[in-house]
Amino acid sequence: MNRVGNVVRMQLVNRQTFIWVPLLVLGGTLAVTLMIWAMLPPAAVKYGGGAQAPMWYFFAVGIMGTTQTFPFSQAMSVTRREFFLGSLLTASLTSAILTVIFVIGGFIEQATNGWGVNGYFFYLDWIWSSGAVVAAALILFMTMTFFVTGFAIATIYKRFGPAILTIILVGLGLLLVGVMWLIGRLNAWGQVFGWIVTQGPEGLAIGLVITLVVLSGIAYGLLRRAIP
Amino acid sequence: MIEEGKALFLQIAESVEDSIVDGSLAEEAQAPSTNELAAFYRINPATAAKGVTMLVDKGVLYKRRGIGMFVAPGARESLLVERRAAFRDRYLTPLLAEARKLGLGSEDLAQLLREHAHTTTTEGDQ
Amino acid sequence: MTINDVAPPSGAAESVIEVRNLTKRYRDAVAVDDVSFSIHKNTIYGLLGRNGAGKTTVMSILTAQNFATSGDVRVFGEHPYENARVLRRMCFVRESQKYPDDAKPIHAFATAKLFFPNWNQELADRLIADFRLPVRTRIKKLSRGQLSAVGVIIGLASRAEVTFFDEPYLGLDAVARQIFYDRLLEDYTEHPRTVILSSHLIDEVSNLIERVLVIDRGQIIMDAATDDVRDQATAIVGDAAAVDAFVAGREVLHRESLGRVASVTIAGALSPDERSRLTAAGLDIGPVSLQQLIVRTTQHADDTDATASDTRTTTKGGRR
Repeated sequence: MNRVGNVVRMQLVNRQTFIWVPLLVLGGTLAVTLMIWAMLPPAAVKYGGGAQAPMWYFFAVGIMGTTQTFPFSQAMSVTRREFFLGSLLTASLTSAILTVIFVIGGFIEQATNGWGVNGYFFYLDWIWSSGAVVAAALILFMTMTFFVTGFAIATIYKRFGPAILTIILVGLGLLLVGVMWLIGRLNAWGQVFGWIVTQGPEGLAIGLVITLVVLSGIAYGLLRRAIP
Repeated sequence: MIEEGKALFLQIAESVEDSIVDGSLAEEAQAPSTNELAAFYRINPATAAKGVTMLVDKGVLYKRRGIGMFVAPGARESLLVERRAAFRDRYLTPLLAEARKLGLGSEDLAQLLREHAHTTTTEGDQ
Repeated sequence: MTINDVAPPSGAAESVIEVRNLTKRYRDAVAVDDVSFSIHKNTIYGLLGRNGAGKTTVMSILTAQNFATSGDVRVFGEHPYENARVLRRMCFVRESQKYPDDAKPIHAFATAKLFFPNWNQELADRLIADFRLPVRTRIKKLSRGQLSAVGVIIGLASRAEVTFFDEPYLGLDAVARQIFYDRLLEDYTEHPRTVILSSHLIDEVSNLIERVLVIDRGQIIMDAATDDVRDQATAIVGDAAAVDAFVAGREVLHRESLGRVASVTIAGALSPDERSRLTAAGLDIGPVSLQQLIVRTTQHADDTDATASDTRTTTKGGRR
């Protein structure tokens, strides 16, 4: 287990990647959003979508983790299992930091009525509708999912190459479109939306956990036969 | 210094023998250690060790436990004997072959030898 | 006597790596073809061969970075795959090693310190100074030589029990290469370990390596002590007709001629009798360096395969 801990230290050796940049991205997006809000009428309720920006960055980190850090870890004589667990652990820790900031941000926004301008960046109704704990879980799992998705995509790329990866992504896209078309055909959008609303943020959280587990399994399975 | 095409450990052994023969390494003096030889010639210590072992087997060097390798008494004498015996094959045969190519007979050779020996200082037998 | 009639390594030497019938097949090519050998403890090996001969593939498989199609590999008696116990005692520095994005050499060394139990920071610092490596410049901005230096430093300072160097000194100038060889020998002398060095620059490393493993087209064509190999070929130089007469009946590895003078490399050494015959015939013996020997052997193997004539005429002299 000590070696897995060392993988975390390895990933964090260059603190920029996992800590500073996501915070910078978040801070920057927040700053820009606030500046825009300052120019708009204060009475109107405004919602900022910028909070997802650091999550997209985690997606990129997930990709870089495989393409660059994995080969280096092999040179460091680290096993694939240690690398996988260590990287996942690192992503969890840094996602946790992000989550804490989110929750605090949410409380601040509640307390200040949206920074005094009715602007909500962290406190998005639907996410917080079941309370702070579920909101925190949701942010955590969402960030982790972005990371693991990036990791999985990069692993597929490494194992099978760009052609297969494209086929898979296009295939998934087609599947999604197909499902949407089907729902449309069955005139079931009302039911689908109703179902989504009843699931609530808890439902989404559970869905994310399932996705996380599945993607992690895929990524690890592929990593075991990956060549640096 | 290091010649191509000849086993490295032999060359190492020969160079130690050379220094015994020319007197720079006296009998009962400590011979350079394996690591010193390896560092000096920039070769693998295992190769140097092989050369040294060969000299020990030959009786040129002996080992004093915990201290190192030393030149055996009588080493110089036996090396001189060995080299004198090899002198003919090593130097004379090629000399004569070359002389034949150039059309020099044995009388010419003898003459050259006398002249050359006269003008060059050679180290006498010790 | 042919080139491969060398006494097999004595069973007394302890082996740290055992490879039996290793094969690596890709869709359209065989990279490693039924290869078997042992690596002895605390010995410096030269893993020699042309580009694409299979050197990197073999080393990758030994360190579980690549996978065999068939065959058995044991390191310290165990399979290396996903085996932290074994892997942490090995170090494999690749040519063109990838490093994390935006990492600096100082990060790479700090990480190496975490994972290699025998890591020696003093040695690393000394090497950083020797190679004049700017440790706070991003690795992606380093020159080819500096990048190689990073790999070399990791390999040396790790003091791993089994260290592979896969031509990581490409890009190092002659001075830097000599520094590498010198430091390697120094450290090996004080802290013996098993080192496997793959290289094109055979003559440069010939004095360092105790044993030679030559791979050609996925097969081991030589596995012997360097000193034994040096005696494996002789070059006979002189009048073409006389040379040909002299070498009749011997295995010829290579022939070159310049006008009436021919240089023929034959397998094996000459007996004292043969030496006298040689001098009498007015011929000379030329040295055959380890590099030439291996190159000639590889060429010879290629020629034999292609069933081309052994005779080759070039207009330049045979020697380097």
